[in-house]
Amino acid sequence: MNRAVSVARMQLINKWTFLGIPALIIAASFALTYAIWLMVPNNVETRYSGASQAVVWYFLALGIQSLTYTFPFSQAMSVSRRTFYIGTTGLFAVVALAVSLLYFVLGRIEVATNGWGLNGQLYFLGWAADSPAAVQIMFNFLVMLALYMTGFWFATVYKRWRATGMLVVWILIAVALVGLMALAGWQGWWPQIGAWFAAQTPLSVSGWTALFCAVLGVGSYLTLRRATP
Amino acid sequence: MNTPTQPPVIELNNVTKRYKDTKAVDGVTLRIDGGRIYGLLGRNGAGKTTLMSILTAQDPETSGDVKVFGQHPYENDAVLSRMCFIRESQKYPEDFSPAQAFKSAALFFRNWDQDFADRLAEEFALPLKRRIKKLSRGQLSAVGVIIGLAARAELTFFDEPYLGLDAVARQIFYDRLVEDYSLHPRTIILSSHLIDEVANLLEHVLLIDNGRIILDDDAENIRGSAATVTGEDSKVTDFTAGLPILHRERLGSLTSVTIEARLGTADRARAAELGLEIAPVSLQQLVVRKTMAAPAGGAGVDPRTATDPSELEVAP
Repeated sequence: MNRAVSVARMQLINKWTFLGIPALIIAASFALTYAIWLMVPNNVETRYSGASQAVVWYFLALGIQSLTYTFPFSQAMSVSRRTFYIGTTGLFAVVALAVSLLYFVLGRIEVATNGWGLNGQLYFLGWAADSPAAVQIMFNFLVMLALYMTGFWFATVYKRWRATGMLVVWILIAVALVGLMALAGWQGWWPQIGAWFAAQTPLSVSGWTALFCAVLGVGSYLTLRRATP
Repeated sequence: MNTPTQPPVIELNNVTKRYKDTKAVDGVTLRIDGGRIYGLLGRNGAGKTTLMSILTAQDPETSGDVKVFGQHPYENDAVLSRMCFIRESQKYPEDFSPAQAFKSAALFFRNWDQDFADRLAEEFALPLKRRIKKLSRGQLSAVGVIIGLAARAELTFFDEPYLGLDAVARQIFYDRLVEDYSLHPRTIILSSHLIDEVANLLEHVLLIDNGRIILDDDAENIRGSAATVTGEDSKVTDFTAGLPILHRERLGSLTSVTIEARLGTADRARAAELGLEIAPVSLQQLVVRKTMAAPAGGAGVDPRTATDPSELEVAP
């Protein structure tokens, strides 16, 4: 376990990757959004912005980066794949939780200041407003984790099977999606599917995301177990 | 270093690594007791890096039994933490500087000596703050060499550590390696194809060719194990009859034959009588001859028929 903590500390030696760049993206996306709101003539309607997603997408890239660059180095540091996996995803989970808490707090400030004085909505999850605070935080956390694990898993597949692996995975995903759509159309399932999506609550969406994360997590670990640096 | 109750540092039993249709390591059985400097010699592509990757579980074996410090190293942090293997083509985290790589090594190698790393960096004139991806090939090798030395791992591998290093830097590496090894005895496995340069460091030689170990002996034993006999063709042929011949070449009226045999005083006296000259064979020469004489090596050429000296040069 000590070595997993060392892996996390190794990932933090370059402060920019896990801390500096996310902080910069959060600050810059807020500043730019605020500037745009100032420029757009004021009206009474709420102004929505998706800029808070910016950092979430960075986590996808971070998942890829932490594997492609740091994994081969961790092998030279005589770290097992399991320890590397625990240390790296563990660190990421902590960072994602911190960002989720920050977003929750910012969301509350947003509401209290009447949308930063400009009637804007950047951090507050309107559709999840009725859910308990814990669910709102968990939702943000799980979405970030899902994107990170997606990047991590794709990078692992690339690491093990290179371009061929990527090609096969994308083709399989496309075939599966097209197949499912064809099946849904043929069986006339679309109305039920629409109803199912409409019936989802923030908590159930979190649950599905958690399941998705778990599958990706296990998949990444199993793929990484036989990866070579 | 090893009391009889301790297992040997490395024990391999019929270990094979297969990549698609080639066997990079082919049925290797090997025992390394440790506490010495071992040379892992062989041509490019002979299987040196693959063998070291198997031992450090960076690239696990396809079949066979691998034991390091008595246990299988794969996903075994207890065993892994006692060794250090910096690959020749080692990758470093994006934007890392050498100083950050050393800081990282200090987290994982319990015997890490930061002062030693700093001294070495100074001797290699390594810019500590520059990004690793902007370093020259020689500076990149220096980063790996410094981690390997300052980690003081019980089992340390150096994989062609001298690439891009100039002659002075290589000498610094050899000197520091021997000095530090005598102060902190451990097991060092040095892979190299610059055999003459490392010959004096090595206490034990492992020669690998086509994924097979074709020589595993003390450097001391090897030094006297072969000789070159030069003289008049018929006399040389008489003298070497019945001895294992590694190589034969003709230069005008002279014939020179490399034999793999220990020559006693009587043999030497007889050679002197016949007017034959006997010269020792350097480790590099022996390695070249043995590799070319190995059954699958050298494309199966019988050394006795390969008489054109230019064919015998190691590819430039």
